[in-house]
Amino acid sequence: MRTHDTLDRAALVLGLVSVVSAVFVFVHGTFQLVQIGAAGLVVALVLGLLAVVGGWLDERTLMLAAGGGFLIAAAVQLVLLQGGSSGFLGGNASTFSLWLALGVGLIAVGVAAVPEATEESVEVTG
Amino acid sequence: MANTDHAVVTDHWMRAVPLLPSRTNRAMIAIVRIGVGLLWLQNVGWKTPPDFGRADPPDGLYLSTTYAVSHQVLAPYAWLVDRLVLPNFTFFAWMVLLVEAALGAFLLIGLVTRFWAVVGMVQTVVIMLSVLNAPHEWYWSYLLMLLVHMALFATAAGRYAGLDGVLRPSWQRSQSGLARLLAGVS
Repeated sequence: MRTHDTLDRAALVLGLVSVVSAVFVFVHGTFQLVQIGAAGLVVALVLGLLAVVGGWLDERTLMLAAGGGFLIAAAVQLVLLQGGSSGFLGGNASTFSLWLALGVGLIAVGVAAVPEATEESVEVTG
Repeated sequence: MANTDHAVVTDHWMRAVPLLPSRTNRAMIAIVRIGVGLLWLQNVGWKTPPDFGRADPPDGLYLSTTYAVSHQVLAPYAWLVDRLVLPNFTFFAWMVLLVEAALGAFLLIGLVTRFWAVVGMVQTVVIMLSVLNAPHEWYWSYLLMLLVHMALFATAAGRYAGLDGVLRPSWQRSQSGLARLLAGVS
């Protein structure tokens, strides 16, 4: 598989992880891995879908936008926690950790260098 | 003669090497890494700023930290917690939150995994020194945590279904110091 494809697939998977995390709006108790509130649900779905589309279309700008969005959401959640509550995002430190993961991951994928395709490498991998 | 010996040793070594290229083995290593990432991710959730459980009665992270003194495991560590950590508890609590959130984040996506596996070992030892003698604790749970981080390090677990596996080739090709460092700790 070409580097380009693996990067796109990584962004797509990270986006899907965010979309799947939306299920924790309905999960409480022991198996609530991450706390997602109503506004957090919007973050998870909108930015997650943005990453999925970025990966699907091989569009680095969308990956970086989604990654930047997650990092901003994570930072806002951390500031809200400092105030002593979940705030309007409705998350906790686990939410911060998840969005940190998705933000860092998408930005790492978005800025990753893709080698120039040579005739030889296209022949081998294409 | 030397060449023959080398061939025998190499052949023996190849037979002894576990079947890492197997799809099943790679999947299991990825599952272990993701599971450990989720462990940190979920458990950072009960570290609640701004007081982190420093209340009457004490709760959460503050209560766990006081166990290092009230149910001491290692006298010098208990002294350090009593004299340095508890008087500056808010600072150390934020450090715990940030380190454990980052552990969850980086192990979950498999980025710079070997570095974070080492951080996980260190953090596990710190937790052990605080709560190993506390009531209702099962010391094997902490030993298992330590062992599983060793396994993540030894298998370079981020290279299997993780971002290390995706990004490492470009880090290895790059001439930059940062890229080489990242390749080294992934």
